[in-house]
Amino acid sequence: MPETRILLKHAEDPELRTLTGYKRYNGYGALERAYRELEAEEVLKELEDSGLRGRGGAGFSMGKKASFLPRGGGMNKYLCCNADESEPGAFKDRELMQRNPHQLIEGIAIAALAADAGHAFIFIRGEYDLQADILDAAVAEAYEAGYLGQNILGTHRDLELVVHRGAGAYICGEETALLDALEGKRGNPRLKPPFPAVQGLYGGPTLINNVETLANVPRIVAHGAEWFTSFGTEQSPGTKVVSVSGCVQRPGNYEVELGIPTRELIYDLAGGPADGREVKAFYPGGSSSPVLTGEEGLDLPYSFEDMAAAGSMLGSGSIIVADDRVSIPHMALRTARFYHHESCGKCTPCREGTNWTVKMLERVVRGEATPMDLDIVASVQENIIGHCLCVLGDSMAMPVGAMVRKFREEFEEVIATAGEENRIAAVQGAPETLGAAT
Amino acid sequence: MSGKAQVTLIIDGREVAATEGEMLHDAAKRGDVEIPVFCYEPKLGEPVGACRMCLVEIEGIPKLQTSCSTPVRDGMVVHTRTDQVKHAQSAVVEFLLVNHPLDCPVCDKGGECPLQDITMGWGPGKTRFTDKKRHFQKPIELSPLVAIDRERCILCYRCVRFSQEVAEDEQLQLLERGDRTFVGTFDDRPYVAPFHGNITDLCPVGALTSYTYRFRARPWDIEQAGSVCTLCPSQCNVSFTVRDEQVKRVVARDNADVDDGWLCDRGRYGFEMFSAEERVSGPRLRAGATGWEEAIAKAAEGLRAGGAASAAIVGDASNEEGYLVQRILREALGSPHVDSRVSRGPGREVLLGLSRPELSARVRDIDDADAILVVGTDPLHSSPILDLRVRKAMRRNGARLAVATDRPTPLDGGAEAAARYAPGEATLFLSELAEAVATTGTSSSLGGRREESGLSSEAGGADSAKRSEEVPAVADVLQSAKRVVVIWGERIGREGEGALRALLDVAAALGLADKEGSGLLEVPEMTNARGLREVGCLPDAAPGLGETATGKGTEEIRAALESGEIKSLILFGVDPLRDFPDTPAWARALAAADHVVAFSMFETPTTAVADVVFPLETHAEKDGTITHPDGRLQRVRPSAARPGDIRPNWGVLAELSLALDHDTGVISQPSAFAALANEVPFYAGIDDAAIGGRGIRWQDLPAASSVPTAGEDAVPPSERFAQEEPKPTGDRSQAPLRRVASEEGVAASSLTLGTYRDLWAGPITELNPPLRFLAPQQRVEVSLADAERMELKNGDEVEVAQNGTSLRARVAVKERVAEGVCFLIEGLAEGNANGLLNGSPVSVTIEKAG
Amino acid sequence: MSDLPLDPALTEGRVPDRVPEGVPELHEVGCPPELKERIEELMGRYPDRKSASIPALWAVQRLYGWCTPEGIKQAAAVMRVTPAYLESVASFYDLLHTEPVGSHKVAVCTNISCWMRGGDELLDAFRAAAGGDEDIFVTGFECLGACDIAPMASIDERYFGPLEAAEAATAIEQLRAGEDVLPEKALEKRPLAGDADA
Ligand SMILES: Cc1cc2nc3c(=O)[nH]c(=O)nc-3n(C[C@H](O)[C@H](O)[C@H](O)COP(=O)(O)O)c2cc1C
Ligand code: SF4
Ligand code: FES
Repeated sequence: MPETRILLKHAEDPELRTLTGYKRYNGYGALERAYRELEAEEVLKELEDSGLRGRGGAGFSMGKKASFLPRGGGMNKYLCCNADESEPGAFKDRELMQRNPHQLIEGIAIAALAADAGHAFIFIRGEYDLQADILDAAVAEAYEAGYLGQNILGTHRDLELVVHRGAGAYICGEETALLDALEGKRGNPRLKPPFPAVQGLYGGPTLINNVETLANVPRIVAHGAEWFTSFGTEQSPGTKVVSVSGCVQRPGNYEVELGIPTRELIYDLAGGPADGREVKAFYPGGSSSPVLTGEEGLDLPYSFEDMAAAGSMLGSGSIIVADDRVSIPHMALRTARFYHHESCGKCTPCREGTNWTVKMLERVVRGEATPMDLDIVASVQENIIGHCLCVLGDSMAMPVGAMVRKFREEFEEVIATAGEENRIAAVQGAPETLGAAT
Repeated sequence: MSGKAQVTLIIDGREVAATEGEMLHDAAKRGDVEIPVFCYEPKLGEPVGACRMCLVEIEGIPKLQTSCSTPVRDGMVVHTRTDQVKHAQSAVVEFLLVNHPLDCPVCDKGGECPLQDITMGWGPGKTRFTDKKRHFQKPIELSPLVAIDRERCILCYRCVRFSQEVAEDEQLQLLERGDRTFVGTFDDRPYVAPFHGNITDLCPVGALTSYTYRFRARPWDIEQAGSVCTLCPSQCNVSFTVRDEQVKRVVARDNADVDDGWLCDRGRYGFEMFSAEERVSGPRLRAGATGWEEAIAKAAEGLRAGGAASAAIVGDASNEEGYLVQRILREALGSPHVDSRVSRGPGREVLLGLSRPELSARVRDIDDADAILVVGTDPLHSSPILDLRVRKAMRRNGARLAVATDRPTPLDGGAEAAARYAPGEATLFLSELAEAVATTGTSSSLGGRREESGLSSEAGGADSAKRSEEVPAVADVLQSAKRVVVIWGERIGREGEGALRALLDVAAALGLADKEGSGLLEVPEMTNARGLREVGCLPDAAPGLGETATGKGTEEIRAALESGEIKSLILFGVDPLRDFPDTPAWARALAAADHVVAFSMFETPTTAVADVVFPLETHAEKDGTITHPDGRLQRVRPSAARPGDIRPNWGVLAELSLALDHDTGVISQPSAFAALANEVPFYAGIDDAAIGGRGIRWQDLPAASSVPTAGEDAVPPSERFAQEEPKPTGDRSQAPLRRVASEEGVAASSLTLGTYRDLWAGPITELNPPLRFLAPQQRVEVSLADAERMELKNGDEVEVAQNGTSLRARVAVKERVAEGVCFLIEGLAEGNANGLLNGSPVSVTIEKAG
Repeated sequence: MSDLPLDPALTEGRVPDRVPEGVPELHEVGCPPELKERIEELMGRYPDRKSASIPALWAVQRLYGWCTPEGIKQAAAVMRVTPAYLESVASFYDLLHTEPVGSHKVAVCTNISCWMRGGDELLDAFRAAAGGDEDIFVTGFECLGACDIAPMASIDERYFGPLEAAEAATAIEQLRAGEDVLPEKALEKRPLAGDADA
């Protein structure tokens, strides 16, 4: 089954990233319609009816979230585009911004209209230097053309859009941490409630959406909610740009209708594992999602609801495939190391739990652990889940917990054999290869 | 909390009443349900929900919630001891101990450590953590006063939140991320800030400890004794940690009506000077130490000789002491010459105007104020705890702040309007403000006023030119506000009574007397200034601010000493040669005196020239009452033993009076208070019980109505205001409005001199080893423009001179100092700016020291 | 008290280098005009000037190669915040360096997808190729958002991959020679995965 390109339509055209290129495919048509012909309420309704679900991880209805913002009133409201994309396995937003920046800008401008926000920000991870440069250029063009700034298209509506580069911290993708970072602080998550829609940036009501979510907005407004719901499943309407990576022959971003069999994504589109290899396990929704074994997952429809039903999640829509060569304990360690490195340190269970888990898993792969330590690993994951300030801690605990549960024998085997290897290695004085990261 | 609705909820099956919006943790506490917390501390502002220790189960919510950040709702059903909750709590404790060294036996916090207690009560039996803990160099010097042990830190962020959100010095920060996070400062510099000692009280573990207390005592061999700090007019409530009858530590004794539970480092570490060698430890004559009988006899003899030509100046004294001194003068010696001010002050009529109960603001009123005016004082130096209070009002309540001073203050940053007047021009500023407020301040009418006052914009330098915007800006902040608190410095009175009349005009124009939660709050120059005035230490007011034969004030006493008109002098808790303006004149005056009796805590330049010296008690030793600038009577209680041969001062005064053949009838501290309360009508009904541990404001009692009201010649300001067209009432003769530096013919290197009393100037640092590093060196602050013009650089050593007298100082170039003025520090042992002052604004020349 | 070690601090007063750590005044820090203007321009973009702290630190790092204490003080003076505040922010983020680093920066991803495809070996190869060259800062890095070109590296803020361990040496030479680095491996040049070998 081929891709269904809507967001990535014409993406092969290098001209697309320029205003002229974008307009060639009637870019900003939706913006003109929204600003000139529609009321904010109509736009909002269209978005709600479309059932568009957030593409950043939580999968919450975008229209509903926008409707949570208080209407009218003298207060300043804000819109933040979450372009921090830092979850291992996710690289779809990068593609969307790099190849079609104006689609995002148009989506932001329309969403801002619906949310009645006068100030918008794109919070892009600092590592995406190329994409940020591309956005800066595109934003300048959009201002030039009157799609941004004061009195847009003579409609007496204003919108300031600033591209804000992060500086390297995964936690800033968490919406409230993003707000703190944008306010010039350390990117620590805030207590919720109050939710950003009520009290967000600079204390004002704030709508926060992912790049892909906002990129969907122009076409929904152009073709209508009905058109949008004709793609995907009932609970997961629309298409999804899925990042497939790991042990596949053609890693990359593939845009498909939500609900297609996962096998088609991994095998038909991404080429599956190398010949003779098979899918041992995969993260269906980025490194935060509990891994599914090949048997469990390959034949599930790729949708929010089916992944949830299988005890995992669609998350950001990023599949990382591990074939039968990959050592799950080592993969668990990599995963834990990432969250340990990225934990902001504000709350206790996440700060200490990620640290403790890494130390235990390092002993596991070094063969310096006992099977009893595996019970402690499992129980520490349980002690983290549901006890943290934000879900970063859970984002480690869920996949690591799942791996220990589903591949227990392999962990015990590694403890046994690695012990052997290390003793030999020690004798030969072989270099420690683990811990290369961080 | 008054208007808030009451709700009831169920905690662990018990019904608990609470106020709407209150946090679950606090409601539970009142219901006797203890929920453990680490990061939660309401004094630090909004809860952060970081430590996760306080998780509880709330029916209807699947996830556990942090009770420190969950507001109560009516009918809420909460469980704090279910298995789910217990599991979460012990999990959090186990996580906290993952990186904690558990070195309790050698930890100063041991025995009074929340982490210890909570581990016992809520933690798992033992930790399953077997890997390496993180390591830091320990302990290291965070400041010369505070040690930090980063291995013990549990990252509750209390200390950094204090630095960010209470003191707002923003020096203490979190560095790095995740479990690498640690508490530190920029570039590992020391954390030097006036309130930093509070972090040792806040830290729930032994990570932040005080060097002055390290290994000095263990919780089980100490006692806590409550008293009041008398080291500044804030009069913060303190608790002395006492071991073997000696003070080992000072901690806050949270009183929201006074200090909000904070202490400045002056109050926290000041006690270390009590045991200084310079301490006067017994009575002495010029010749040297002597017995009490002889000392009292000699003192009486000299005073009797002076008779009606005697005078007294009272400073660091309790109400009882001040009351007894003025009785000795008025009754035993028949002299009316008593004062309790460093130089000039307002007459009785104006004082009565300022003392009207309806015009006086409580400290608490700052919290709810819509607008605050700080005029003629820098709270950070003169009453530090008010600086925190004003910041709190802005941060939590969105209060609008206006600052009007000669010297820039740290509050300017958060102020909506920061007005600068030249030294000696508070009177003019206040007059213009009164007018601006009354006539909704159009700058045009002010323009006219400036002409007639002879202020030429450009020659007047930046600030008088700016004044045309500044005054309306300040007026604008105050006008619209419902609740207005005006925090004013007694200092402006040095310009003469006009300044205070102008202040009353402002109060009248703002209608403070009729506005709920509004009023004036004074920052006096001496700790118990208000109490001393109310018990009769004034040249023209008897105890209770009653009428009496008019005598000489401090400045006139000085002149009269020089002229020989006054012969003998009692100095009680004052050091004119350090603290009063015009040192040379005071030196001449004391030299001319026949007989000087000095009551002093330490040997000073003044005691050096005294005939008889009596020792004073510290606020850790003294028993007596003092009156807060907002009218709150507080009790100073003896907590530690008196060193050497020191006796209670009330007794010494009673005996001195007897030796002068006058029986005061005072036989004990309580009888001393009873006697004064009996003479101060508006203290009626106040006794030890009423004062209790928290003090009591006389304005809040029925007797308040008995405070005398101003007579004929001083029509209540508001009416005077209504009659005439508003005009500044400043007494121009005393405060020349022309800025000296702007006059033709004045050397280009000459600037108008302003002075201020630095928080750290004086014995507090000179006689106090742990604080010595804070002792300020004299420095002259000048504007960028003047520095450029005079070719002065930061750190240059210069000679600052004023006809004849001069002192050495280092140059400090300051962006916010106005052109044409400069500032020096008063009260230093070396190069005391008081040596250059002579009562009215002076201009000084600045020359590079060769 | 005999049972407790005595602390000298009780007897001697301590004296630190008492540098005032408040907000520095501009005239004290010698801030280059272009940096001052840049930061002021950045502050102008946001409703609240503090929002400019990360961009301002970027500007400092661009100017000095890393966030030097002097640079931080200069930014603090312009922004009217304490240097401590800015250092606290800088030390939170991986891309802002509060220690000296080389002028060329190579970040090799060692996260899950890259690790599966030889990220560790690639990092070792870069470390070996750079061979302790002060001017080339090689570090392992968490997922850079380019698992499609695993194993990959970010070289002077541009992405390259998939890389053979052998290409590390070439890249380092090109860096030293000031040439374009591995042009054919630049991310920009890649077609969409679905169009690649179609
Ligand atoms: C630790 C953490 C990291 C996150 N990172 C991202 C991210 O990089 N990009 C993103 O769009 N959302 C991320 N999220 C989700 C955001 O918090 C938020 O739900 C999302 O941006 C909302 O936009 P959406 O509704 O359009 O998905 C993250 C959440 C957590 C807890
Ligand atoms: S030092 Fe103490 S107060 Fe500060 S964060 Fe650590 S534990 Fe909390
Ligand atoms: S006390 Fe509630 S989270 Fe720390």
